[in-house]
Amino acid sequence: MNLRLHIWRQSGPQDTGMLKTYDVANVSEHMSFLEMLDVLNEDLIAKGELPVAFDHDCREGICGTCGMVINGRPHGPLARTTACQLHMRTFKDGDEIYIEPWRARAFPVVRDLVVDRGSFDRIIQKGGFVSVNTGNAQDGNTLPIPKLDADRAMDAAACIGCGACVAACPNASAMLFTAAKIGHLGSVPQGQAERSTRAMNMVLQMDAEGFGACTNHYECEAACPKGISADFIAQMNKDFVSSAFGGRD
Amino acid sequence: MKAFGEIWESNLFQKWLMAITGLLLVGFLIGHLSGNLLVFMGPDAINEYAHGLRTMLHGTAIWIVRFGLLASFALHVTSAIKLARRNRAARPSSYNTVEHRASTLASRSMLYSGLLLLTYAIYHLAHFTWGAVHSEFYVKACPPSPECTDCIPDVYAMIVSSFQQPVISVAYVLAMIMVGLHLNHAIASASQTLGLRNRRIVPIVRTVGPLLGILVALGFSSVPLAILAGIVK
Repeated sequence: MNLRLHIWRQSGPQDTGMLKTYDVANVSEHMSFLEMLDVLNEDLIAKGELPVAFDHDCREGICGTCGMVINGRPHGPLARTTACQLHMRTFKDGDEIYIEPWRARAFPVVRDLVVDRGSFDRIIQKGGFVSVNTGNAQDGNTLPIPKLDADRAMDAAACIGCGACVAACPNASAMLFTAAKIGHLGSVPQGQAERSTRAMNMVLQMDAEGFGACTNHYECEAACPKGISADFIAQMNKDFVSSAFGGRD
Repeated sequence: MKAFGEIWESNLFQKWLMAITGLLLVGFLIGHLSGNLLVFMGPDAINEYAHGLRTMLHGTAIWIVRFGLLASFALHVTSAIKLARRNRAARPSSYNTVEHRASTLASRSMLYSGLLLLTYAIYHLAHFTWGAVHSEFYVKACPPSPECTDCIPDVYAMIVSSFQQPVISVAYVLAMIMVGLHLNHAIASASQTLGLRNRRIVPIVRTVGPLLGILVALGFSSVPLAILAGIVK
């Protein structure tokens, strides 16, 4: 199939950037979206132009590295699918596709479709962990966890930190990401000791990074390639307020 | 230990304040509506009710409520504006194309419906409480004189003579449509912000919110519409 792409080109963080139009011919429906971009880039390199920069790593939908807004939807039109797992059979011959980077103050564009998601790392550093003494590994099953709690923790832990929630949110809020991390550790016994501090510190760091606030549209939930539920945001709200009024930290 | 000021200024705390004050305002709306509907029971019912409100607890009750309302309103509006400004700042460059998947017209227009309601609230107070606009319809039950200390406005006459003007009625009905739109998202949103969310409660708040919005809008609008139609005169 032949496609017309409108891709955001931006040479660096200071550049204003603009959409540029490219025609790609003979795209196989079996290609992934990223492979289609690889073909375009081969073409651009052959012509002596700079290839389109985009993030990618595993290309299996599990690492959270890739991400771009495709026709107004983070990771493209398919639900629960990362851009690398989106295949060209979703599109048809003659389609025009708009490709833009995640847009948020806290995710500055590095180049073209690549954004700096270091703000997520700094939120994690504020409490997205449990402190344990190292030494011999604990015996398995010494800490009994009800199946439902373990499942709930796993649902939250499915977050790959790709940033689609921020990209989809009309307020560029990172609540779903932060809530997933807080909800993951808050669902299991290991996370209880630091639960109050974690909610307080991660939420305040999220503000400090310049993410917006949640207005409960649930665009994040719809865009999340891992289907993380906005229930975790409600849990984070509860943890934060109880930390504000009852926490000792 | 984090200072309370820092927590107060955080997005989540501001949202929490909006949810609490918003629910208080919804409670007030329901009370206000039940008072308004007394208009259908004739002049004496609503005038006595209005007089009762003004004289309850030797006239202090109304000031306690007014103070609470004013505080709720002020917190709700200042938090909304503060958060809206931060939300705008969080996305400095907008997308070329955006496709909405989960948000609704009501959820996306909360700021606008809210600002319109703020304008309306001031107009409404100027109309019925201060008598500053449409003062030709501001009717006292007895002529004002220094001896008459509990001279109260003839609320029934005020309502009927005002709403017999189609322009005023239409303005009020439009404002009530805004209330309905605002409440459509408000209840479910507040419950999420307060952390009241699980499989039991989500279907309830998602039904109650829009339903309450429709009922409140219809209830308030019924008064001007009934007067325009000549059912109440």
